[in-house]
Amino acid sequence: MTAVYPPDHHLLRDLRFSFEHGADGRRSRAWMPVVRELCTDLGHARAGVLATLVDVIGGGLAASAAAPGWIATADLTLHLVGAARPGSVVEARAEVLRAGRTTVVLEVALVDEHERNVGIATMSFAVLPRRETNPEVDRVRDSPSTMATACSRLDRPLLEELGVQVRDPARGVIEVPVTDWSRNSMGSMQGGVVATVAEVAAETALRAATNKELVVTDLQVTYLGFGRVGPVRTTVEALGTGDGHGSARVELVDAGAESRQMTVVHAVATRDLT
Amino acid sequence: MNRDQRPEAGHHVGRYMGVAMREVEELQLVGRASVAPHLRGPAGGVRTGALLTMLDNVGGVTGGLAALPDGWVVSTNLAARVVARSQVGPLRMDSYLLRRGRNNVVTSVQIRDEGLRDALVASGVLTSAILVPENGPPQWTRPLVLEAVPEPAPDLPSMPDWLGVRVVGDHAVEIELAAELRNPWGILHGGVVATLVDLAAEHATGGGSTTDVVLHFLAPNRVGPVRASARELGRRTDGHLLRVEVRDEGAARTTALAIVTCATRA
Repeated sequence: MTAVYPPDHHLLRDLRFSFEHGADGRRSRAWMPVVRELCTDLGHARAGVLATLVDVIGGGLAASAAAPGWIATADLTLHLVGAARPGSVVEARAEVLRAGRTTVVLEVALVDEHERNVGIATMSFAVLPRRETNPEVDRVRDSPSTMATACSRLDRPLLEELGVQVRDPARGVIEVPVTDWSRNSMGSMQGGVVATVAEVAAETALRAATNKELVVTDLQVTYLGFGRVGPVRTTVEALGTGDGHGSARVELVDAGAESRQMTVVHAVATRDLT
Repeated sequence: MNRDQRPEAGHHVGRYMGVAMREVEELQLVGRASVAPHLRGPAGGVRTGALLTMLDNVGGVTGGLAALPDGWVVSTNLAARVVARSQVGPLRMDSYLLRRGRNNVVTSVQIRDEGLRDALVASGVLTSAILVPENGPPQWTRPLVLEAVPEPAPDLPSMPDWLGVRVVGDHAVEIELAAELRNPWGILHGGVVATLVDLAAEHATGGGSTTDVVLHFLAPNRVGPVRASARELGRRTDGHLLRVEVRDEGAARTTALAIVTCATRA
């Protein structure tokens, strides 16, 4: 792990997000430029990449809402209705729906630069007692409007950068290392990356099951434990397939940590987004 | 919060659903329910609202047992995917603990059709918050066994009739908060909220069938009437994507938010 988070070469810099936090601590906005390296082979931004945008903006807003306590992400859901293609900019508009003693719940609307619906997301967080190692919320609230540096960008497709290895397409078994490039501030695989890994596993298995070019449009991600060691390994149970769509349940374990269970994901894939 | 400890309190919904359940291993429950006529929707299969109620019911008890002896649970988040829209029955609900945290519990529940060689009907995850009732958590004999009524009455009303659903415009439905629809905490049963979301989606899409739900319970429904309003976000090859908001109109507050995929009936 590195002392400064995120390090110079890191996913959260290379995705070139920018942010704007509302003064009331109840709303935030973030933007992500869509580049080819973030897209599926059908030419639109991956669900997992958009989940990463949601995770980052949602985590900051929830930390603000839970102050002086701290938070742990419990779940993230994402449903897509529109394609975000290279050259476009996706805006995430996050709003606190509930900030209680034990939970924080957010809704995040995703639109493109023409106000067209790209999708909708929700997140919920468990509120925890603050530890000394947790960042100060003021630092989150007053964080810079972008983490990108002048050199930040993806030089190759996201899945290559993550080191995704497909082991068994029919069973959706893939392996992904936990690297400094994809860790969160606590040293584990970043939550949006976890969603991306699940997305790729579901897409791989559902394409094998249907022999059709399906892409994942929905993710219901339940976080159970951290992936600290790696590789992170997936298995997929295809739940059902229909005319131009399919659904799957994905389980992720940290294979390097006695296969500790990390995450359970329900995913839906459809033919394409328009 | 105070939990009504009387044996009959808050169990009308469970009786209407006819769910029996048994703890087969520690923190692993199996529920069973027949595919009763009153649970079926217009397309012939069990209504998604009924399936969600079963998920909430069995997953909630599993989570509650995991929360003992510290407290009991209330549902905070239910996410489910329905993959079979016609069933033979009986239905079996397999539930187990995924995670027990400091203040919440996560359970997995899958519904299978024993009449169709255990074909998967629905798969879901229920997250519940741990609460400490003022009068203490419920006392159960372990392993837990909850029997359903021997046979559901043949003339039970359909779910919309039982709930007293009324249509409000083109995109919303509404119910009064009757005593029979409250859970042991005295608030509207989570399964009823899920059913109201399902009925709003069905109404807004002109008879579509809910296949996918993410439901966040944000606040209790205590006063009523309780209204679910659906707004379409877009369409895909697998159906309409809707945002459904539930409000306790009597308390003037939003109590739940759902994201729903609703397939148009073939």
